[in-house]
Amino acid sequence: MDYLLHILVVALVYTVFALSLNLELGYTGLYNFGHVAFFGIGAYASALLSLAGFPVAFSMTAGMIMAGAAGALLAVPALRLSGDYFGVATLAFAEMIRLFFLNERWLTKGPMGLPGIPRPLGIPSGVSGLPLYFLLSALVAAAVFLFTCRIARSPFGRALKVVREDEYVAQALGKNVFSLKVQIVAVGSLIAGLAGALYGHYITYISPSDFTLNETILVLLCVVLGGRGTQWGPVVGAFLIIFFQEFIRFLPIPVDFGRVVAPIQGMVYGAVLVFLMLKHPEGIIPEYRI
Amino acid sequence: MLDYYAQLVVNGIVAGAVYALFAVGLTLIYGVFRFINFAHGELIAWGAYLTLMFSGFLPFGLAVVPALFLTILLGIGQERYIYRSLRQRSRITLLIASIGLSYLLRNALRLIWGSDLVSFGFETRRGMSFAGLIVTRTQLLMVAAALLFLAFLYMLLNFTMLGKSLRAAADNTELAEIMGIDMKKVGLSVWILSALFAGVGGILIGIDTNLEPVMGLINLLKAFAAVLLGGAGNVWGALLGGLCIGIAENLGVAFFSPGYKDAVSFALIILLLLFRPTGLFGLIGGIR
Repeated sequence: MDYLLHILVVALVYTVFALSLNLELGYTGLYNFGHVAFFGIGAYASALLSLAGFPVAFSMTAGMIMAGAAGALLAVPALRLSGDYFGVATLAFAEMIRLFFLNERWLTKGPMGLPGIPRPLGIPSGVSGLPLYFLLSALVAAAVFLFTCRIARSPFGRALKVVREDEYVAQALGKNVFSLKVQIVAVGSLIAGLAGALYGHYITYISPSDFTLNETILVLLCVVLGGRGTQWGPVVGAFLIIFFQEFIRFLPIPVDFGRVVAPIQGMVYGAVLVFLMLKHPEGIIPEYRI
Repeated sequence: MLDYYAQLVVNGIVAGAVYALFAVGLTLIYGVFRFINFAHGELIAWGAYLTLMFSGFLPFGLAVVPALFLTILLGIGQERYIYRSLRQRSRITLLIASIGLSYLLRNALRLIWGSDLVSFGFETRRGMSFAGLIVTRTQLLMVAAALLFLAFLYMLLNFTMLGKSLRAAADNTELAEIMGIDMKKVGLSVWILSALFAGVGGILIGIDTNLEPVMGLINLLKAFAAVLLGGAGNVWGALLGGLCIGIAENLGVAFFSPGYKDAVSFALIILLLLFRPTGLFGLIGGIR
């Protein structure tokens, strides 16, 4: 039961993370290949502030804002060129952020990571706090889900979809394409920061190795598998992927082969991404098009 | 003290010569297909690892040949089985497929050879000294090989019909096709060149330092920086860009912690996008 709750919490964290990527990738068509950077910024900022003695709710908010600000700061230069460069810039940014976490020992303790991150609202760390933390993350995920639904249905969301389909049309309709893109990247990064903070305070220990390209691929897979540009797609994708990942642990794999499990898992994720793009680019839940 | 900086510049030129090989391959593909191949880095790593495999039972000089051949096949395979059928669809599917493919190939490397550092096992030799600057044999080899391949590219682009069609296709694909240039042949030769250069560069890096599965990703980001510096689609810009990145990151070691050596090129990518998105040299109209 506790184990199931643990998987559910992780799946909910990834739901929030995937919903934030879907705003950029699904609705606006921005190829963000470094989304984990904002997840990491949220996690580290929130963890460091709460370890410094600030209330956890305050730290999480600050972490979100810092991630959102970082997103906006990156988006301004990176979106000046066509979409391909955004992919390059975000990929490079994520590596830079990881190197920052790894090298600034005075702040982040480098590869040692940050242990003993407190949980919010007095939820005890360890197994006893699991049901409450599940409740908290379910509430956060539901709030984020409703928020993204609201964005998708708003005039702002419709303008984003026009940008995705054809930038020139959006411009001709009097929309400021650049400003729309920067706004959505800022919002997406803000929510990714929230997901990161939620993750850090749950696991109570973070290190630079939690925020690598692997996590970017994982969340990309959640969005693409579930269905880009749909409301439920990222949710379905996140639950499927996280449950699949945990399911692997129960396979009767001989100890000698333990070493090869991670690479094979990575190969499967990569192959699924390629396969989906070739055969099923719309994912499990296809986007409704008029 | 001046010697110290001069030595860093020399090291930078050596590293930059290899980055130029990667960047030229990346920019050739971009020039013809207008697409950034995120799996280019895996060609670098596979070139190096395949050489490691063949050098197990062949002399090193011979092992390079089948390794490069297989790397080229890998490049052509990427195009034929994945990218070609996606080219008609939205760009986002193409880019997601290429990043998925790179992840697949990188994990395949980890599966076969493990995640640890491996090396070709050459003995380290003492460097030679020229006017106070120390250069190792490996470094000379790196520069020589890079020069050789880039000279080959120069000849190909400027003095053959194939090179002319490549340049025409990079300039305007539709127009080139209308003029009767065989785009299949152009596409194939671009992939062969790109994979060959990536493989050679990967082997050179392997001789100089180590092989590890993430070597592809790290060098890919440096190649991106070089391509952006030179202006995307511009072959000679990419070459100069590669040299600049090599020198910048080696000089960077003098001012920042060595842990940030790789970050120099990433920071350059972001700064360039901010201030000079058309590339530092602005040779957009030059030889592509």
